[in-house]
Amino acid sequence: MSAFGNTVGAIGSRAGTSPFRGNMVSQALRRVDDNVLIREAQRGNRAAFEELVRQYDHAVLRLALRLTASEQDAQDIYQEAFLKAYRNLVSFRFECSFYTWIYRIVTNLCLDHLRKKNVRKEEAPVATMQDGSELNVLDQVADDRAHSNPERDLMRRELGHKIGLALNRLTPRERMVFELKHYQGLKLRTIGEMLSTTEETAKNTLFRATQKLRGALAEMR
Amino acid sequence: MNCELFKQNVILLVYDELPDDTLFEMRQHAERCLACNRELESAQQFRADVSATPVLEPTPNLLASSRLRLQEALETAEQHRGWRAWIFDPVDWLRQIRFSPALAAAILIVGFAGGVMTAFRMQPVSGGGTTPGQSTEASIAGIRGITQDPNTNTVQINYEKLLPASARGSIDNPDIEKLLLYAAHTQENPGVRVESVSILSQKCHDAEVRQAMMRALLEDRNPGVRLQALDGLDQYVKEDIQVRDTVIQALLHDTNQGVRTEAIRLLQPVKADSAVRSAFEQLAREDENEYIRSESERTLASLPDID
Repeated sequence: MSAFGNTVGAIGSRAGTSPFRGNMVSQALRRVDDNVLIREAQRGNRAAFEELVRQYDHAVLRLALRLTASEQDAQDIYQEAFLKAYRNLVSFRFECSFYTWIYRIVTNLCLDHLRKKNVRKEEAPVATMQDGSELNVLDQVADDRAHSNPERDLMRRELGHKIGLALNRLTPRERMVFELKHYQGLKLRTIGEMLSTTEETAKNTLFRATQKLRGALAEMR
Repeated sequence: MNCELFKQNVILLVYDELPDDTLFEMRQHAERCLACNRELESAQQFRADVSATPVLEPTPNLLASSRLRLQEALETAEQHRGWRAWIFDPVDWLRQIRFSPALAAAILIVGFAGGVMTAFRMQPVSGGGTTPGQSTEASIAGIRGITQDPNTNTVQINYEKLLPASARGSIDNPDIEKLLLYAAHTQENPGVRVESVSILSQKCHDAEVRQAMMRALLEDRNPGVRLQALDGLDQYVKEDIQVRDTVIQALLHDTNQGVRTEAIRLLQPVKADSAVRSAFEQLAREDENEYIRSESERTLASLPDID
């Protein structure tokens, strides 16, 4: 068996039955898969790159959509991020995971977008669709739970509206850190890596963002 | 933990970013402090409220159309190779061969070798009836080069081997002496250094050996080695000024009391020497060790007065 196969086999054999260990195994295998795909893609194998894209593009598109609230803008950022990744893949030196690397590209593009659009003005969280129509963000999510409570739904929507307004008051960087921490569930250390800063700075930014959000929500009540 | 610190860290607690010990302290504090407990509940409610609200998700159509658009763009996109197209990048090449099966075992050897080791080359010992033994195992002393045959998984690695060997002979044999001197100042194992210094101390009539003893006395990290060196230099304190000065240095500066006490004993025959007297005067005045002070005073008391 090749050394590579041995590595994969060794990782698999250490999995055991513990869910923690199982998660570590799947992460290790994922890392090995990515490395193989990246190397192939670095040699110009477009199919390998497309496979790599498919593993991360949903998360990338989600992040872009949530930050831009525009399907068109989200798609543009998606396109630009992956094209940039493809063009510069040769310079990827495996010093971090591909996930961290692509997220670094996407967050930078989103930050540029946020700064240009200056989303600090107060406006309703409305999403612009591809056909140009606008949709209230809150209407997008259908409540398909059985026995849903209309009154509770309304309260939730109103709160969501307020949160949307409060999010718009954050600086682009605060918005990004909060998005990555709260919605994406990333560790502050990872967020720091993605934003090319320190964990401590990410921590301080999160603190400021949450203070502002809590303050804004308290005002609106 | 105080309330100020609690407020600064409450968001980190709510978002699971705290180390366990800080988490424990904060929970303890919240149990005792009503205001901070309310602050914690408020922060937890905030997180719950934000999590409960609807969020934008890309539709399947949006994802599909994005993928299609990207695919079309990739048809004409080119990878930036830049200068790398023209220059052989050894770092990149080494990364490429990292998973090559032919290299796996070689990399394992390099990894366990742990860097470049110095190799002492043993000359054939003559005149002493020695027969250097040889072990069939070999350790790697260093990697001199790695090359890969193009377009294959075959690599060539040039490296140097460190072959274990043994020598047996008289301590008067120059090669044996050379080995002992080498062991006295280079070996990591203090036991080996003690043994070699102990043996060499029998040969301090040799100037080179005496130099090695003095160096061991001043520089070796192990007090046992330094004591052995003192033992070897004992009989040369009278006739060799350099040895005397070295022992004075050990008396004044060694960190081990046993070594300093032994140095006092060695200097007794030469206590009338002005440099020795001066050292004892300094110690009697200001050494922080009571025993050293009292021994110095006793030595000075036994000296005749200088007119």
